[in-house]
Amino acid sequence: MHKVKVLFFATLRDYVGSKSVELEIPFGTTVDELTDLLVVTYPSLEKVKDSMMVAINREYTADEQVIPEGAEIAFFPPVSGG
Amino acid sequence: MDFPTIISITESELDLDALLAQITLPTMGAAAIFTGVVRGQTSRGKAHETIHLDYEAYRPMAETKMRQVADEIRQKWPTIEGIAIVQRIGRLYPGTPTTLIACTSAHRNTGVFEAARYGIDRLKEIVPIWKKEIGSQGEEWVEGIYHPKPGE
Repeated sequence: MHKVKVLFFATLRDYVGSKSVELEIPFGTTVDELTDLLVVTYPSLEKVKDSMMVAINREYTADEQVIPEGAEIAFFPPVSGG
Repeated sequence: MDFPTIISITESELDLDALLAQITLPTMGAAAIFTGVVRGQTSRGKAHETIHLDYEAYRPMAETKMRQVADEIRQKWPTIEGIAIVQRIGRLYPGTPTTLIACTSAHRNTGVFEAARYGIDRLKEIVPIWKKEIGSQGEEWVEGIYHPKPGE
């Protein structure tokens, strides 16, 4: 197991009720697997699961990406700055 | 010579003149400046009134992505000299400038207009900033439509 920091922004933070959480995840966990894990803990994420963006260490990432040790993982809706 | 690139996320009022001054060079003779403004009355689509917008950013990633947008501009338009990409966050009321994208170059026909346009379009695609709209009919997070590719 290794520790990661998970951040939530905008709508997702509202759904989760928290800006960030620290989690222990098994080595080799992918973004997809972490997403499923989070949906179990925060069922309100289910409805936005398919549209949310994921960044690892501040870079957009793929679902099959293995999460590196000590990573900062951010979940957020499509951006709307400007 | 190194051309200036200004990247900033701020809670302070945008000083458009000061930002332009920071990307003004002896060699430049043209500046294209785009600024987004909080719209109080929307008629396109579902007509409604906006009381204010609350902006938030994933600041470290947003700064990285704004720098990436500036790099993309320089690759596409090598004639661009100065670039400023600025986003104001926090609570902003109608009539307030929210963002500034400015590009400078020697002459107006060297891509400055297109470069500034590209800058705001890309900011709205890949820079992790969000706004919540508080209107007469309640509040709602505004969501974009673009899904960046891995590494984009």
